[in-house]
Amino acid sequence: MLLDYDRLGWLRAALLGFTGLVAAFLLLPVVFIVLLSFGSSRWLAFPPPGWTLKWYEELFADPAWLEAALTSARIATTAAILAVVIGLLASFALVRGQFRGRNTLRGLLLTPMVLPVVVFAIAIYAFFLRIGLGGTTAGFVIAHTVLALPFAIIPITAALEGFDKSIEDAAIVCGASPFEAKLRVTLPAIKIGIFSAAIFAFLASWDEVVVAIFMASPTLQTLPVKIWGSLRQDLSPVIAAASSLLVLLTLSLMIVTALIRRKLSK
Amino acid sequence: MSGNLLHRLPILRRSDGIGGALPALTLITLFFVVPVVALLLRSVTDPVPGLQNYATLFGDGTYARVFFNTFLVATVVTAVTVIVAFPVAWMLAIMPPALGSIVFGIIILSMWTNLLTRTYAWMVLLQRTGVINRTLMDIGLISEPLPLINNLTGVTIGMVYIMLPFMILPLVGTLRAIDPMTLRAAALCGASPFDAFRRILLPLSLPGIAAGGLMVFVMSLGYFVTPTLLGGTSNMMLAAMIAQMIQSLLNWGLGSAAAFILLLVTMALYALQLRLVGAKRMTGGI
Repeated sequence: MLLDYDRLGWLRAALLGFTGLVAAFLLLPVVFIVLLSFGSSRWLAFPPPGWTLKWYEELFADPAWLEAALTSARIATTAAILAVVIGLLASFALVRGQFRGRNTLRGLLLTPMVLPVVVFAIAIYAFFLRIGLGGTTAGFVIAHTVLALPFAIIPITAALEGFDKSIEDAAIVCGASPFEAKLRVTLPAIKIGIFSAAIFAFLASWDEVVVAIFMASPTLQTLPVKIWGSLRQDLSPVIAAASSLLVLLTLSLMIVTALIRRKLSK
Repeated sequence: MSGNLLHRLPILRRSDGIGGALPALTLITLFFVVPVVALLLRSVTDPVPGLQNYATLFGDGTYARVFFNTFLVATVVTAVTVIVAFPVAWMLAIMPPALGSIVFGIIILSMWTNLLTRTYAWMVLLQRTGVINRTLMDIGLISEPLPLINNLTGVTIGMVYIMLPFMILPLVGTLRAIDPMTLRAAALCGASPFDAFRRILLPLSLPGIAAGGLMVFVMSLGYFVTPTLLGGTSNMMLAAMIAQMIQSLLNWGLGSAAAFILLLVTMALYALQLRLVGAKRMTGGI
């Protein structure tokens, strides 16, 4: 009866308790960081001696933080759009194409997700230094698009595989051009996949640290690079404030995703 | 579907060719394959042609220690992650959806929260004067703060934290695919819960454990951020060493040789995993 929730007996209590502990473990750092960002102790004493908003004031008083966040947003948005468009085109070929080496091609396009990112980071760093793209926004966008591409391809191919092609064919039989049929029949049908792709691709760039550390220059820093730099100096509570805003962003992204998925699937 | 009369219409027979994949292929070739291959070539040409970089890496005790640390941490992290993830995945697979969605929500929140944020939280939690040491001292369990950070203990805690979702989520899928009837049959035939677990549930979930465990192991081998921040300078892992060789020491030959070793091990394990689960199952993970 091990897979019957209602008939597990005492084992259920034990497993539920353990699951609760693990959930608490997963939640602990996130909640902790948010509480800490409102604590008044510069040395991050916990529980804090008092509550304050001064770390948020310090955060917003330093234009470098805002600038880094804007740079990150710009790069992540561009990389996500590129990855979704390129990934969408590739997905049609990967799912429906009939050519030799299709599985190899799929494997190749997904490799950036598997290869340790530090290897790619130093490779693209050396390459960009040579061709003059080092420390440029274009270089950042290209590198992050490469890393985001697998995260776009996976949900889109999954959605496309679940879509019955006869519906597209029916549109063609009824007089639509193949392009029109794709645009007006297939794309709306796989929009959840495309939406997931956009979110994953955005996060892949927005949270990316390793390539960013190598690519960054004093004038071009993404938010993770800025946090990384501060972390290496001290554990200032300002980082907790910045982190809490990132947690807020994650939460809103989760809620928006859930809402949009619900709406789209209707 | 292929037997459908409609598909004899010439306009429908045209399937999508390789054309759509060309932009992606160009991007990956130009900005992924070429740079990585160029880097690997550098490992046998920089500063002079030959295998001297590999000889240095394999001949020096300092580097041997880094390799050993890396494999040790990856092994321990994988083992702990599997053991912790299994009961959680088990519960998630059979829990009432209302309760399950709360746990899933927490897992996703943890997974989607910025990596540096999570690592920063662990740096603060684990430090000498951090909450964990304080609490343990306050309740009288220890009299001296435990060294939880700047060593492999810290790295392991932080890495297990990060890897757990990657193990739990695929494992839930594996466990859900097991027919509960097999276990009911075992119980009817008189198997004790322990026997049923050991001889039915565990073997049936082994493919999922192997696939998830391998993924966690591979990811841990090449992980950079968390080991660097929680491990301190004396417990360097491979990815951090590679970054340091390039960034601070500007030793491109040695750095790219170490990168090649990491790439080789990763790709070999990845190929093994593809064998185990098949490309489709694996990429369905997100």
